[in-house]
Amino acid sequence: MARKALLISPELCIGCRGCQTACKSWNQLPATKTVNEGSIENPPDLTPNLYNKIRYVEMPSNSNMVRWLFVSQRCMHCDDAGCIKICPAPGALFKTKEGAVGFDKDKCIGCKLCVAGCPFDVPRYDEKDKVSKCHLCSDRIAEGLEPACSKTCPTGAIRYGDRDNIIGKAQKAGYEKLYGQVDLGGLGVLYAFKDSPKIYGMDERPQIPETVVFWHKVLKPLAYWGLGGAAAVSLLHYLVIGPKKDEGGDQL
Amino acid sequence: MTVIRKASAFEILNHWVLAVSFLILAISGFGFLFQLEQLNAVFGNFNAMKNIHNYAGIVFTASLILTIFHYLPVSLKFGADDIAWFLNGGGYLSKKSKVPPQDELNAGQKLYYIVILLSGLAIAASGFAIWLRPQVPDIRKLVVLSHLVHNIAFDLMIIAVPLHIYLATLANPGTLRIMITGTVPLEWARKRHAKWVRKMGY
Ligand code: SF4
Ligand code: SF4
Repeated sequence: MARKALLISPELCIGCRGCQTACKSWNQLPATKTVNEGSIENPPDLTPNLYNKIRYVEMPSNSNMVRWLFVSQRCMHCDDAGCIKICPAPGALFKTKEGAVGFDKDKCIGCKLCVAGCPFDVPRYDEKDKVSKCHLCSDRIAEGLEPACSKTCPTGAIRYGDRDNIIGKAQKAGYEKLYGQVDLGGLGVLYAFKDSPKIYGMDERPQIPETVVFWHKVLKPLAYWGLGGAAAVSLLHYLVIGPKKDEGGDQL
Repeated sequence: MTVIRKASAFEILNHWVLAVSFLILAISGFGFLFQLEQLNAVFGNFNAMKNIHNYAGIVFTASLILTIFHYLPVSLKFGADDIAWFLNGGGYLSKKSKVPPQDELNAGQKLYYIVILLSGLAIAASGFAIWLRPQVPDIRKLVVLSHLVHNIAFDLMIIAVPLHIYLATLANPGTLRIMITGTVPLEWARKRHAKWVRKMGY
């Protein structure tokens, strides 16, 4: 099946947060009481009950009083996903056939390693210590529907479709390279930025923590080969040289 | 046959506690590392395995700290005889090679203990950091670092411990009884721990 993706166009977003609400509604996530922190960004961060949030960025601008940027922040559905890489529990985090990164709270053991392994600081954990994040409405898309967020968006700032298709269309519209097109094996959430990603509050070059990659490539196989090697060396010593025997001599 | 006491009853008990908790931790740790669902036959499921891993970690840490009183003082004594022991490969590389008289622990055992103590403390500290998530400014950085430390220490131990088990059983018949009765025959001790035997007044 063709890999699916979302295309986020901050320039089209009017900040209505319909997607935030639709997401909560479909996923039956309760609202959280927040306090006014002087920004219309609300809640201020992703929570176990908030899978998708519109980030508000206020920038000085020459042509206007102020430039407002609205960016959907959520799980990026990485191809090379740091969360899956580091997760010790089989089936807790997984790829769906559409390329979404889903989760299974029953299989999650609540170790919270994924929280540290994700380059985008996305996974949250609920009161039972279970992982919680955007799953690209994997239940909807498995049935051929589009995710609640893109379905609701009134301006087309969130679009859903075949990933290749989305990239092709964006290129025709003049975006040479989308954010997330190649990072981490290609993200499942692509961004049509008109400026440097930094301005939108995104990492220029998102990366799985280097130590996690080192662990995956070196330390993990070393555990396997180290144990096998130690056992093999012992056996070889036993067969070739043999045990220390007590007969005769004074020092062994 | 004259026997001589090498380990007290408490030391024997503590060594078993350390050994069993280590085995539980290492097996479940391998399970997490390679997502071995076959281990569900032993632990039930991964949630249970995590709880067992965490609580076995407490037992292991306590036991490891107690070993400091048993093995650290002698392990820190490192002299010419210890160096010579290593230069001769501990007498393990050929039937003919001899090593100089050794203390209560031989040079290899001293090094082994230092490796286990350091990697054990590192694996314990990093394990508790991942489990308990202390209040620090950047918990994600601390967890990533702890994950690295936990795995380096695991690799060290998963190589060192099997060698230790081999050397204490098949490679040196008669050694395992130190972990059972705590005593060894005087003749056996003379050959392996001459300096200690002399110090004990035999
Ligand atoms: S953004 Fe984070 S949580 Fe989402 S797939 Fe990538 S690594 Fe996993
Ligand atoms: S918290 Fe759950 S999903 Fe995250 S790494 Fe641990 S077991 Fe996997």
